[in-house]
Amino acid sequence: MIAIEGVGKRFSGRDGGAVQALEDVSLTVAPGEFVAVVGASGCGKSTLLRLIAGLVAPSAGRVAIDGAQVTGARTDTAMVFQAPTLLPWADVLKNVTFPMRLMRRAGPGTEDAARALLARAGLAGFEGRLPRELSGGMQQRVAICRALLQQPRILLMDEPFGALDALTREEMSLELLRLWTESPMAVVFVTHSISEAVLLADRVIVMSPRPGRVVDDVAIPLPRPRSFDQEGLPAFQAAARRIRDHIFRGQAARAAA
Amino acid sequence: MARALPATIALIVFFALWEAACRGFAIPEFLLPAPSVIARAIAAAWPMVLNHTLATLGTVLLGFAASIAVSLPLAMAIASSTTIAAALYPLLVVTQSIPKVALAPILIVALGANEAPRIIVTFLVAFFPLVVASVAGLLAAPPELIELGRSCRAGRLQELLRIRLPFAVPFVFGGLKVAAALSVVGAVVAEFVGADAGLGYLIQTSMAFFRTPLAFGAVVILAILGILLFQAVALAERLLFPWSSGAERPALAA
Ligand SMILES: Nc1ncnc2c1ncn2[C@@H]1O[C@H](COP(=O)(O)OP(=O)(O)O)[C@@H](O)[C@H]1O
Ligand SMILES: [Mg+2]
Repeated sequence: MIAIEGVGKRFSGRDGGAVQALEDVSLTVAPGEFVAVVGASGCGKSTLLRLIAGLVAPSAGRVAIDGAQVTGARTDTAMVFQAPTLLPWADVLKNVTFPMRLMRRAGPGTEDAARALLARAGLAGFEGRLPRELSGGMQQRVAICRALLQQPRILLMDEPFGALDALTREEMSLELLRLWTESPMAVVFVTHSISEAVLLADRVIVMSPRPGRVVDDVAIPLPRPRSFDQEGLPAFQAAARRIRDHIFRGQAARAAA
Repeated sequence: MARALPATIALIVFFALWEAACRGFAIPEFLLPAPSVIARAIAAAWPMVLNHTLATLGTVLLGFAASIAVSLPLAMAIASSTTIAAALYPLLVVTQSIPKVALAPILIVALGANEAPRIIVTFLVAFFPLVVASVAGLLAAPPELIELGRSCRAGRLQELLRIRLPFAVPFVFGGLKVAAALSVVGAVVAEFVGADAGLGYLIQTSMAFFRTPLAFGAVVILAILGILLFQAVALAERLLFPWSSGAERPALAA
C-alpha cells in the first residue's frame, strides 16, 4: 500500500550547508499493517513521516500510495504529533472536528462520530472544555481522536506518547491497539522506546543516523491481542535485543570513529 | 476584583502621603499642589475641563482606531511574506526613530491647524508596537499546527484565517493595550504643539498663568484616560475572546 523506493531527502541549511536526512530508504507497508520506526534522534524518522504525508517532497526516489506517487497532502492520511498541538481557542469537540471542517468533509454525522470517539477515549463529558483545562495525556487523546475521526487509511504517529509519563504511556498504547483493531488502517508509529515498538508493531524498522538509513526490518511474531504480559516471552526479548544491538552498535561505532 | 484591592490601597496611601507632604512641608501651590487643591481646581472649572477632556478623548480614539486599521493588515502582509517583511520593516523602524514632537509642527503646516495632524501624530506613536506584536502573534502558531493545516490541504488564506489569526489574538491584545496607552501620549504631544482645545492645551495654558493645580488636574485626568482605555481593551478581550485572557501571556510588545 505504501511503497517507499530508494528515497533520499536532503535539506539545504540556511548557512549554505546541507543535511542528508535520509539516504536510499526503501520500505513497504501493507494495508492494515502496524509498523514501528525506531532510531536515535536526528536519523530522519519525522522526515520519513512527512514524506509519506506529502508534506515534503523527496530529493531522490519516490513515495507511492496504492501505486500513485505522493505529490502533496492526501485526505486519506492523518498525522499525530509528539505535542498535542490543539487549537487553544477551540473546545475539545471543535478541536476533534477541525480537520474535517478544514477539508469540508464535515457532515451532519461528524459531530456524533466525534462524541463517540471521545467517549471511547475516556473523554465523555469533556467535549466543551478548552485544551488548557486538560492534562497532557488527555490532550494527546484528543489529538488522536482528531486523527481517527478522519477515518484515515494511513495513520502517521510521530512519537505520540513521547511527552507522557510512563503509566499514561502504557495505558494509551493499549488503547491505541484497541482502536486500531477496530478500524482498517495502516499505522506508521515513530518511537524512541524499543519495548513500545515491540509491544505494538507487526514490524519494527530500525534506522541509523547521518544519513538516515534502514538498518533492519524486524518482524514481531507475537500473537494479538498484545498485552504487557508478553514482555517476558522469549520472542519479545529476542526482538528487543536485536533492535537494541543495532542501535548501540551504531552508537559504539560512531563513538570509536 | 481581589487583585484590585492592593492597587487601590497603594493609590490611597500614595495620595495621602502627597497630601501630608504638601501640608507638612508647606510646599508652595505653584510648585506642587496638594491632591485636595487639585480636586478643587478641577471642580471649580469642570465644564471647561470636561470640554478639553472630550477633545483629547476624540483625538485619542481616532488615532487609536487608525492605528488598528493600519497595523492589522500591515502585520498580515509582513507575516505572509519574508520579502514584504524585508521591504517594510526598515521603513517602520524609520517612522519610529523620527521624534513625533519634531514631526507635529511640520504636519500642522502641511495639513493646517485642524484635527488631522493630531490624529496622525497619535497614530504614529501608537501603531508600531501593535504591528510588532501582531506580526509576532501571526508567526507564533506552532509549526505542527501549520503542518496539520497543510495535511488537510488548507490553502494560504485558510491557514491565515483559521489558524494564524486566532493564534495571534492574545498577542494582538497585548499590542492593543500598549497602543491604547501610547495613544494618550501621542494625543497630548500633538496638542502641545498645535491645538486650541484638549488636555495638552489646557496644561500649557494653565502653566503659562501659573495655574499649577489645574495643570496637575489635567495630568491626573490623562492618567485616568489611559487606565480606562487600557481596561476597556482588557474587557473587550475577556468578552470577545474568553479563551485568550487566561492563556499564556505573551510578553508585551518587544
Ligand atoms: N525542514 C528542515 N530543514 C533543515 N533540516 C531539517 C529539516 N527537517 C529536518 N532536518 C534535519 O534532518 C535530520 C533528520 O531530522 P528528523 O527527521 O526530524 O529526525 P528525527 O525525527 O529522527 O529526530 C536532522 O539532522 C534535522 O536537523
Ligand atoms: Mg522527530
